Amino acid sequence: MSTEQRRNEEARREMFEAIRGHLAASAPHDAVRAAHHAAAAHGEDVSAREEKRATVVFEGTAVERFKQALEAVAGKCFVVRDEAAASEVLRRIAEQRDSQRVAVTDSKLAGRVLKLAALRSEVLENAAVESLFECDLGVTGARWGVAETGTLVIESDAERNRLASLVPAAHVALVEARNVRHTLGEVLQAINERGEGGLSRAITFITGPSRTSDIELTLAIGVHGPAELYVVVIEGEGNG
Amino acid sequence: MRVSLFITCLVDQLWPSVGASAVEVLRRAGCEVVFDERQTCCGQPAFNTGYRNEARRLARRFIEIFEEGGADYVVSPSGSCTAMAHHFHELFAEDERWRRRAEALAARTYEFGAFLVNVLKVEDVGASFKGRVTWHDACHGLRDLGLREEPRRLIRGVRGAEFVELPNADACCGFGGTFSVKYPEISVAILDNKIDAIEKAGVRAVVSGDASCLMQIGGRLTRNNSQVRTMHLAELLASRE
Amino acid sequence: MHQQTSETFDQNAREALADVQLRGALRNLATTFGGRRKEAIATVEDWEGLRDRARAAKDETLAHLDKYLEQFADNAERAGAQIHWGRDGAEACRIVLELIRARGASKVVKSKSMATEEIHLNHALEAEGLAPVETDLGEWIIQLAHETPSHIVVPAIHKSKRQIAELFAEKVGIEPTDDVAVLTGAARRILRRQFAEAEVGISGVNFGVAETGTILILENEGNARLTTSLPRTHIAVMGIEKVIPRFTDLDVFLKLLPRSGTGQRLTAYQSLITGTKRRPEDEGPEELHIVLMDNGRSRMLSHPVTRQSLACIRCGACLNACPVYQQVGGHAYGSVYPGPIGAVITPQLSGLKPAAQLPYASSLCGACREVCPVKIDIPELLLHLRAEVTEGTAAGTAAQHGPVKQRPLERFAFGLYARAWSSPTLYLLGARVARLLQGVVVRKGRIGKVGGLLAKLAPPLAAWTEWRDAPPLAPRTFREQWRDGQYREGN
Repeated sequence: MSTEQRRNEEARREMFEAIRGHLAASAPHDAVRAAHHAAAAHGEDVSAREEKRATVVFEGTAVERFKQALEAVAGKCFVVRDEAAASEVLRRIAEQRDSQRVAVTDSKLAGRVLKLAALRSEVLENAAVESLFECDLGVTGARWGVAETGTLVIESDAERNRLASLVPAAHVALVEARNVRHTLGEVLQAINERGEGGLSRAITFITGPSRTSDIELTLAIGVHGPAELYVVVIEGEGNG
Repeated sequence: MRVSLFITCLVDQLWPSVGASAVEVLRRAGCEVVFDERQTCCGQPAFNTGYRNEARRLARRFIEIFEEGGADYVVSPSGSCTAMAHHFHELFAEDERWRRRAEALAARTYEFGAFLVNVLKVEDVGASFKGRVTWHDACHGLRDLGLREEPRRLIRGVRGAEFVELPNADACCGFGGTFSVKYPEISVAILDNKIDAIEKAGVRAVVSGDASCLMQIGGRLTRNNSQVRTMHLAELLASRE
Repeated sequence: MHQQTSETFDQNAREALADVQLRGALRNLATTFGGRRKEAIATVEDWEGLRDRARAAKDETLAHLDKYLEQFADNAERAGAQIHWGRDGAEACRIVLELIRARGASKVVKSKSMATEEIHLNHALEAEGLAPVETDLGEWIIQLAHETPSHIVVPAIHKSKRQIAELFAEKVGIEPTDDVAVLTGAARRILRRQFAEAEVGISGVNFGVAETGTILILENEGNARLTTSLPRTHIAVMGIEKVIPRFTDLDVFLKLLPRSGTGQRLTAYQSLITGTKRRPEDEGPEELHIVLMDNGRSRMLSHPVTRQSLACIRCGACLNACPVYQQVGGHAYGSVYPGPIGAVITPQLSGLKPAAQLPYASSLCGACREVCPVKIDIPELLLHLRAEVTEGTAAGTAAQHGPVKQRPLERFAFGLYARAWSSPTLYLLGARVARLLQGVVVRKGRIGKVGGLLAKLAPPLAAWTEWRDAPPLAPRTFREQWRDGQYREGN
C-alpha cells in the first residue's frame, strides 16, 4: 500500500469513527426531543401553516405543457408530425443562422433528421474538441422530456458526444413526443429503472439556454453554454 | 372562564394601560380575570442572550406561580413572552418532571389576540376607534405562534377603524431584544424600512401585539416627531372612541 | 478598509451601512429573489409537504450518515470513481494538490463550489505555483478582484455593473461598458480558451446519491458541464453531508432548491455523473476523483439542534430573507458562509471564539426558518450557540481556538436581573428606585439622547437613545394599580 493509500485508509477510518462517535453522543438528546414531539402532538399545535397550494395548474397534454414551460425559459419549441417535418425545421434554423459547421451526437434520430435536412453546412460526427469549438450549431437527440419544467434529458448510454449540446452557440434537440412525461418524478423514476448496466454514466438535464444573473441580477443569456435552444418534438405514430 | 393574566414586565412597568385594556377586553368577552401578584418575568432576555441558568430560574418560578390559581388559561398581551413560555421545555432537557410541567402549562398559555379569536371565538369586542390604522406583525407572534389572521380579524371588528395593510407588515422591526443595543445601527436601519412604510401609509396609529416592537417603532416615531402613534392591540380593542 | 473577519463583525457592519451602493444592491436582491421565490412556490402542489419530505430525507441520512456515506462511496467506486477522504480542509487541499501534481498537470479550471471556498483551495493551489481559473461568472469576477464571495449563490452581488466593467478593463483589457451582454460575452470568450486547454476540472457537488453513487451538480451557465466534461481529470470536492439516500429523492430536492434560491423551476443544467465513462473512446474525463470532506461537519452530528445545520442545501434563501443580511451584506460576516446559515455554521466550522459575534448578529425574527426548504430552525440554532458562547460549552471548537472571550459586566447584569426578578419585593423595589432615578433623563414624557457620563455608565441606554426615544417608567406599575383595587370589576 502506498503512503497515500495508507493515509486515505486512516482518514476514512477516523472519519467513520468520528461520525459514529458523534451520533452516539447525540442519542440522549434525540430521545428528549422525541419525547417532547410526542407530547406536542397530543397537545394543541398553535402554529398556523401558510396554506401553499398551487395557484398555477396546467390542463393539457404533456407536449403542450412542455412547450409552455420551455418557452417560459426562453427556449423555442416546435411540435411536428414526423421526422420529415423536423428536418424542415432544422434546415430553417441552420439557414437563418447561416450555419457553417454542425456538431452532432450519434443519436440515430438526430442522424436520420440531419440526413433528411441535407444541410449545406459541414456536419461533424464525433468531433474532436478543437473542432467542436468551431461549430456554430449542435444537433442532438434527447432520451426524455419533462413537461412541467420544459427540460430535456440526454443520457450518455443513449447517445455519445453530448458536448454538441453545450459548446456550439445554438443547440437543436430532437425528442419523441412519447418520451415527454409530465413530471420530473416520473422521468427520474424512468431513468432509475435501469437495466443491469446501471445508470448512464453522464446524464444531463437541460432547461432552456445558458444564463446568468451574476451582474446586478440582470439576466444575460448564453454564458458558457448555448444562447439558443430549439427543441423539436416529433409526434410520430401512436402518440397522445 | 377563568383567565390568569401574565402581564409581562414591559407592560407592567412601562405601559400599565395595556394591562388595563387587556383586563377590560377579557371581561367584556365574559372572562373572570385573575392576576397573581407574585409574577415577574418570563426570562426571555436571559434566554435570548444565552444565559440559560438565569432563564431556567425564572422559568421555574413562572411555572410554579401559574400552575396555581385554578385558572383555565394563562393569557398574555405579548407574542414573544407567550412564545417564551412555549419554549420553557428547552430549558429542562435534563429534567423530565419540569419538562412535563412546562409542556402542560404551555398548552394552556395563549397570546391575547389568539385567545380571543381561537379560544373564545370572539372577533367583535365592542370596540370603536376613528381613523386609519395599520398592523405590524411582531415576529414571535407571527412565526413562532402562527398568528396572522387573528389580529386582522379583531381590527376589522373595530367600528370606525379603517384598516390599511403595510406592504412589509411581516418584516421585522429590528428590535430583537439585546440585538437592539448590541447592534443599534443595524437595528435602526431595519427599523427605518418599517418607519418609511408606516409614514407612507398615512395612518393615525400603528398597532401591534408586542410592547417591545412598539417601543422600538414608537421610539423612532417620536424621535422623528411623527404624527403617528403606537397602540397595543389591547388598547385598540378597549377603545370606545 | 480593515481586514474583514468575523471578529470585527460590528465594525464591518457599520462600514457596510455607510455603503450606499451596497445597500441598493442588497435591497434589489431581497426584492427580486423574494418575489421570484413566492411566484415559483405557487407552481408547486404542496410546498409544505415537499419541505417535510426533504427534511425527513436529510434527517434519515444524517442519523445514519456512516451507512449512507459508505453506500455512496461503494457505488461510486463500482462505477469507476476514486474516493478520497479528507478529515479537514488542509488535508482536502493536499489531496487535490497531489492529484494535480501526480498527473503533471498545471491547467486547472474550476466551477463554483462553496466547499472549495470554505477550505481556501485556490489559495492553497496558488501557493504551490498553480493558477486555477474560476469559470462561474460571479466567481471569476471575485477571483479577478481578489475578494471572497458575499453571497452563496450570487457571489458578486455586492459589485455594481460599473465596478465590474472597470475590473474587466483593468484585468483583462476590454473596453469599459455598461452593457451586461457585452461584459458577459467577454467572460465567455476569455474563459472558453481556458476550457479548451484545461487538464484538470475541479467542481463541487450539490447532492451525492447513496443508492447509485451519482453526484449531481446544478448550474445555470454551463461552466460546470464544461469543467466536468472536457478536462481529462475531474476532481469533485464534496462535504460529507451532501449525501441523500435514493435517486428518486432528487425529485424533492430539485423542486425545492432552484425555487428557493433564485425562483427558478429548475436551473438551466443539472449534471448527473456516475463514475467514469464506459468506454475509453467516449467523451468525458478519464478519471473521476471524489474528495469526501469532514472539516468540522461530523462534530455537528453530536446534538439534534446542531445536526440540522447539515441539512442545508446551500440555496441562499435565508440570506435573501434576512433583514440583517439585507442591511450589511455578506462580507461583514467575515466568512464564505454569510447570512443566517453562515451565522450558525461558521462558528461550528471555524471555531466559536473567532466567530462569537455571529450568533448575536440576528434579531431572531425567524424569516430564515420560514423560507428554508429543509426547515432548519436557525433561530433555535442561534440561541443554542449563544448559550455556548456564554457557558463556554462548545464541544471541540474550544480546543482549537481557546475559550470564548467572556463578558463579565453583562454576566453580572443578567445574574442580578435573574436574582432581583425572582423576588417580587426586589422587583418592585427596583422599579421604585428606577422611577426615582429616571427623573435625570426624562424630558417631556420621554427619554431622549443620553450622553456624557450617563452614557458611559449605561451603554445600552446610550445605544438605544442615540436614534430612538425611550419610554419612561410609568408612575405606577400595573401590579401596584391592581393591588390598589383599580381593576376591581365594576370600576
